[in-house]
Amino acid sequence: MNPADHDTAPLYSLRNVTQQYTGNDGARHTALDIAGLDIAQGEILGVAGANGSGKSTLMRLLAFLEPPASGSLFFDGSDACAAGTTVRRQVTLLTQEPYLLHRSVAANIAYGLRARGEDASHSRLAEALQRVRLDPDDFLRRPWFRLSGGEAQRVALAARLVLRPRVLLLDEPTASLDEDSSAAVRHAVLTERRERGTTLVIVSHDHGWLRDVTDRIIRISKGRME
Amino acid sequence: MSFILDGMTQAFGLLMDGNPETWSAVYATVAVTTMSVAASVILGAPLGFLLGYCSFPGKRALRMLADTLLSFPTVVIGLIVYALLSSRGPLGGAGLLFTLPGVAIGQTLLGLPMVIALTANAVEYADTRLRDTLLTLGASGGQVLRAMLWEVRYHLLLAAVAAYGRIVSEVGISMMVGGNIKWHTRTITTAIALETGKGEFAMGIALGVVLMVIAFLVNLSLSGLKRRAVIR
Repeated sequence: MNPADHDTAPLYSLRNVTQQYTGNDGARHTALDIAGLDIAQGEILGVAGANGSGKSTLMRLLAFLEPPASGSLFFDGSDACAAGTTVRRQVTLLTQEPYLLHRSVAANIAYGLRARGEDASHSRLAEALQRVRLDPDDFLRRPWFRLSGGEAQRVALAARLVLRPRVLLLDEPTASLDEDSSAAVRHAVLTERRERGTTLVIVSHDHGWLRDVTDRIIRISKGRME
Repeated sequence: MSFILDGMTQAFGLLMDGNPETWSAVYATVAVTTMSVAASVILGAPLGFLLGYCSFPGKRALRMLADTLLSFPTVVIGLIVYALLSSRGPLGGAGLLFTLPGVAIGQTLLGLPMVIALTANAVEYADTRLRDTLLTLGASGGQVLRAMLWEVRYHLLLAAVAAYGRIVSEVGISMMVGGNIKWHTRTITTAIALETGKGEFAMGIALGVVLMVIAFLVNLSLSGLKRRAVIR
């Protein structure tokens, strides 16, 4: 599928976007320098590149966790450089090692719903867990510290899927998982895309997977798109 | 040595008999300490969060001030609050001098820096992924504050216990602002100082035992709360 197959107006539009960080030497270093990038509604975009190339910085910008140092970032046609809560709630990010709140699995999955004032019923939480192939009867009442790495990742994904986000950003979501957990995460993500048309941006070193599931792949090297 | 043992024996007698003077001091201590710790936590936790979470000019100076105030002498706080609450002071009209709420104001100033400093430290050194997780799950600014304070709740409990320990054992503020008035503002510590000065070791020891039991019960209930909080 090509971006042209999706809606004509891009969901994300980045122009001359840079991001800089202060290094240990006190100097400002450019971590990202994107001349132009459009992401269409419903697109599955793959992002490849070496470690430290700027992929995660790009994901943080797309998740509105930080504003760009310069350039323009438009989301759904509006300037999103200083995105408010309403815009931020349309997008969610899952990283390689997500943080689970120090609460039960149920409370973790319900957090985003409650933040939005939405229904966090048992059936909705259970359904989210089933999507990541975890048994609700076994897991919903478990505390966060009684989960393996793979289970924690799947719970974190369930906490995002339950929000029915417009955009799901996945930053190496299966990098440290065993085969079963990895398969569960991938299945859940693609099911979400198929059923709800969710826009996906996936960072992964698994080029085979990216080729199989994405509409297109961009490659980032030293902060720039190749 | 025997007078100490005699004192302890008499102390248990006083406690078991329900000596009204002893229990009046116990009541005053528990009431005023609870008020002070509650005020310290309610005011100090959000301030500590702001100090640990936000970046603003003068933040380091404020952190240093909070750390310095951790060792603020209680008699100096007593002096300042006395000056504020006395009839010639700016808050003299409130009639709080020589009352338990007046003592609570002074003791809140004692506990506040402790809660602020420990909360700021806990928030500053919290897992860096926590803020991003809350934001990416759609939390607003206020929800981030509440969730972060909940995530560092063990540190908050520790701060509350530390503040309780410092407040329940202080003498200077209670003596100066409360005036050590029998049946009214006499706390355990001021009573111990007075009774020991009069040579009444039994009463002093009895009150000392109660003070230690209060500290033990507070720690016990907080560790119970911590156990329950872990699995919520």
